[in-house]
Amino acid sequence: MKNIFIYILLIFMFLFDINVFAKDLLITNAKLVIDSETFRENMQTNTKLPIDYEANIHENISIYRTTYGRKEPIIIFFKDLDIDEIKSELDGLDYKTYDAEGKWVTSGVFAPFSYLGMADIGGEDLTNDIRSPGSLTSVSENASDNFNPSSVFIANNRRHGITHAAISLAAAGNSIFAGTGSIVNLTGKYNSIVKETAFVLVQLGQQGTLNSGGSRAASLLQLRNGLEVANCNINSGRNCENSLIRAISNINNNSALSIYESDHLIPVIRGNIPLVISVERAVDIINVIELKNSFSKLDIILLGASEAWKVADTLAENNIKVMIDPHNNLPTSFETVDSSLKNIIILDEAEVDYAITNLSALGLQGVGTLTQHAGNAVGNGLDWNKSFAAITSTPARWFNIPLINNSLVIWDGDPLNITSTPVRMFINGEEQSLTSRQTLLRDRYNPNTNSDKLHKYR
Amino acid sequence: MPSLNKGFAFTKTFIISGMLMLSACSGPIDRNKTKAFESTYSPNLDTTTLITNAKIIDGTGSNTFKGSICIHQGRIKVISVNQTVNTIKNTTNINCEYTNLIDAKNKYVTPGIIDVHSHLGNYPTPSVSAHNDGNEITSPITSEVYAEHGVWPQDPGFDEALKGGVTTLHILPGSANLFGGRGVTLRNYPSRTVQGMKFPKAPYTLKMACGENPKRVYGDKGGPGSRMGNFAGYRQNWIRAQEYRKNRNSDQRNTSRNLQLETLADVLDGEILVQMHCYRADEMVQILDLAKEFDYKVTAFHHAVEAYKIGDILKENDTCAAMWADWYGFKMESYDGILENIPFVHESGACAMIHSDSGSGIQRLNQEVAKTWAHGNRAGLNIKKEDAWKWLTSNPARALGILDQTGTLEKDKRADIIIWNEDPFSTYARPEKVFLDGQLLFDKQNNIAPKSDFRLGYGAQ
Repeated sequence: MKNIFIYILLIFMFLFDINVFAKDLLITNAKLVIDSETFRENMQTNTKLPIDYEANIHENISIYRTTYGRKEPIIIFFKDLDIDEIKSELDGLDYKTYDAEGKWVTSGVFAPFSYLGMADIGGEDLTNDIRSPGSLTSVSENASDNFNPSSVFIANNRRHGITHAAISLAAAGNSIFAGTGSIVNLTGKYNSIVKETAFVLVQLGQQGTLNSGGSRAASLLQLRNGLEVANCNINSGRNCENSLIRAISNINNNSALSIYESDHLIPVIRGNIPLVISVERAVDIINVIELKNSFSKLDIILLGASEAWKVADTLAENNIKVMIDPHNNLPTSFETVDSSLKNIIILDEAEVDYAITNLSALGLQGVGTLTQHAGNAVGNGLDWNKSFAAITSTPARWFNIPLINNSLVIWDGDPLNITSTPVRMFINGEEQSLTSRQTLLRDRYNPNTNSDKLHKYR
Repeated sequence: MPSLNKGFAFTKTFIISGMLMLSACSGPIDRNKTKAFESTYSPNLDTTTLITNAKIIDGTGSNTFKGSICIHQGRIKVISVNQTVNTIKNTTNINCEYTNLIDAKNKYVTPGIIDVHSHLGNYPTPSVSAHNDGNEITSPITSEVYAEHGVWPQDPGFDEALKGGVTTLHILPGSANLFGGRGVTLRNYPSRTVQGMKFPKAPYTLKMACGENPKRVYGDKGGPGSRMGNFAGYRQNWIRAQEYRKNRNSDQRNTSRNLQLETLADVLDGEILVQMHCYRADEMVQILDLAKEFDYKVTAFHHAVEAYKIGDILKENDTCAAMWADWYGFKMESYDGILENIPFVHESGACAMIHSDSGSGIQRLNQEVAKTWAHGNRAGLNIKKEDAWKWLTSNPARALGILDQTGTLEKDKRADIIIWNEDPFSTYARPEKVFLDGQLLFDKQNNIAPKSDFRLGYGAQ
C-alpha cells in the first residue's frame, strides 16, 4: 500500500513538474539586474545584505534559488561574499553551482503580449490558430488550448532570453472579444502553461469595427453590453437575459454575447484578471476609461495605445495600464496619426504603469526582438532600469507571476543592447537548451565548417 | 457644356496623335526619344562644411580612423586621416575654406545609409486602400509599369527614414507579379515631386518575383498556379523580349514601341538591373540558370532568406543578396531563416546587403546590421565592424549601380554623411546630423527635420 502511494505521488510529481529531486541552483559572481522592490524582499531572507541596498544593477552578487522545504521557490542574494563563505552558508544543502564570471544576470524576459506557439506558418491557415473567424464562441476560447510547446518558435525565441509570454488569440469568433489569454513559459514542455486564465482581450478601434459590424459605436456597445450581462450574472444568479440579444431580432453573428460567453467575463468584472483592450486613438482611450465609472473594479490594460501620450495624465489618474511598442512612430492609420517616439517618455513622466511590447514586429516569431524595442526606448530617453522592468518585472507583476524566482538568464552583455545574447538560461531551476532549429540550420551551413559531407549528412 | 466638349476634343486629339505615332514608326526606335520622367533633383551646394575629429567608418572596409572631411559643392573634397585636429588653425592645413565647421569629437561619421528595398511612397502611411500603389495586381506580367508613378513624395515615412540616416532608397514594385515593373532609386530629399527625388542617372531596375506570391495571387486567375508556371512565364516573356530587342534595332522592320517588352529588352541590353524577390536557395539557383539561358544578369536577390545555403554559388555568379537580420517564418518559403544569414553570405565571399522592406525597419538599419554581425561572429566568424558596414552602404550602392556616386566616403563622391552620437553598432546610437550632397537635412540638436504635408494639423511632433 505504501509503495502504491509513492508510485502515485511520483506520477503526480511528474505530471505537475514538482522538482523535488532537482538540485537547488547557485549562480556566483553576477552583475545582477533586478528591480529594487524584489531585491529588498529577497534580501530580507539573508542577513548578509545591507538593508539600504537599492540600486538596480548590483555587481558581485551570488544568487541562490531553492525549493527546499517550500511550495514556491525563493531566491536569496549574497553580496560580496566569496565562494567559500557562501558554501558555508549553504552547508548541508544540495545545489549546482554556475559561475557567471561577472556577466549580466537577470530574470527571464516576459513578453507581455504575443501569439507564440499558436501557429507554424502564418500564411498557411490550417497551421494557424491565431484567429477563429468561423467559431461560434469568443470570450470562452482559451489561448492555452491553442498552445503548442513543441513549436520551433519556442526554442527559437528562448534563445533571445524570453522565458515567459502572455499569449492570446488575435480574434475569436468574429467578435470584438478575442478570447481568454494565458501565460506560458518557454521550457517547451507539456506543462508550459503557467496560468491558463490570465486575461481577456477585446479589440476596439479599427479592428473592433471590423468585428462588430462597422463602427466604433457598435464595438463599444458590444463591450458595454457584454460587461453588463456579466455583471448581471453575478448579481442575479445568472438569470439575466442578454439585452443586446433582445434588441436585435435576427442574430446572424455572435456580436451579442451569450450567457455562457459573458460568464467568462465575470473574473474581469471582479478585477481578478485584467481586461486587455486593443485601442489606439486618444478619444477611444477616453471612452474606455469611462467604463470604470460603471465597472469600478476593472483592471484595464491598453494594448497598442499609440496616442496614449495625449491622455497620459488621465490614464495615470485612473490607474489604467498600457502595453506599447516604443518603435511605433508612423501614422500607419488614421487612428494612429499621432504615434510618436515620445509616447513612452511622456507616459513615464506622468507615472503611468506601462509594459513594452514589440507589436510592430510580432508576427509569430517576433517576440525575440523585445529587448531591441526596450533598448530603443532607452535610446530615445527612457531610464534603462524602467525600460528593462517593462519587459520583465512589470508584466510579471500584472499577471502575478514570480518571474525572478522562476527564471534566470546569463547574458554576454547589456541585455538591452542589440549585440548581446543569452549564454545560459534557467527556468524553474533547470538549465534550458539554447539550441533551436535555427542554430541547427546555422551549424549545418556555417561557411567555416570544413566538412566533405553532403549537407544532408552534416 | 463647354467643359465636356473640351474633354472630348482632348481625347480625340490624343487618339489621333497616338495613331500617328504608331504609323510613323519605321526603322529602329530612337532610344533618346524614349527617355521620360527625368530627374530634376537639384541640391543646394552653397555650404562648404568641415567635419573634424570624427571617428570615421568610410564604408570601404578600412579600419575606423580619426579624421576630417571637407564637403565642397556637395562632394567630398578632402577626407584625411588626422589624429591631432583640435583647433581651427590646425584644420586649415587640409585646405578647406569652410563656411560651417563641425567638431565631431567622440562622434562617429559614416556614409549615408542606402536601403536597397523599400516601399516608401508606393505603400505609404497612412495605409489606407487608396494608398496601395505598389503592386499592379492585374496580370503576372507588368514590366510596363514604373514604381515612380506610384510614389507619393509626402509619405511621412521618408522623413522618419532620414532621421534614421537613410539618404538613398530604392523603391520597388511589389512581388505579386513575375515581372513587377521598373524600380526607381531616389535621393531621400524632401521634394514636392518624385522627379525632384530621382537619383540623377541611376540605372533603372526591374523587379521580378519567385515563389509563393505570384502563384498564390494568380493561381485562380489564369495562372501561374505553381512554381513550374512561374518559370514558364519568365521564359515565354524573355523569348518575346529577345525578338522585340532584335526588331527595335532593325532597319528592316517597323516596330511599335511596346513598354512591356522595352523594359525587358533594356535588361537584355544590360541597361536595367534585375532585382529578384526570391526566398529559397534552390529556386535562386534555378533563376541563375534562367538568366544564363537568356544571357542577362541577376544583379541581386531580395529577401533571400536561404542565401546562406548557397553563398558560394552567389559568389560565382557575382550576384548580391539583400536580406533581413531576423525576419522569417511568416510563410513556408521563409521558414528556414537564420540570424546569421548576412554574415554567412559575406563570409562566402558574396555581396551581402541589409534591406528593410518596412517603413519601421528602415529607421534602424544600422541596428539590424549590428545584430546580425554579432550573431555571425558568435558563430565563429571574425568579421570587422568596418566590413559589416558595407552591408548598409557600399554593397547596396553596388547593386543599384551607383557606387561611383555614393556608398563610401571617398574623394569626389557625393557628400551623403551621417554624424552619430556614438558607435552605430549600439542600440543607443542615433544619427545627430544627416547630410545629403552636403546639405544638412536633419539636425537633431537644432530641430531641423522635414515634415510631410500629411503631418500638418495633427498633434505629434
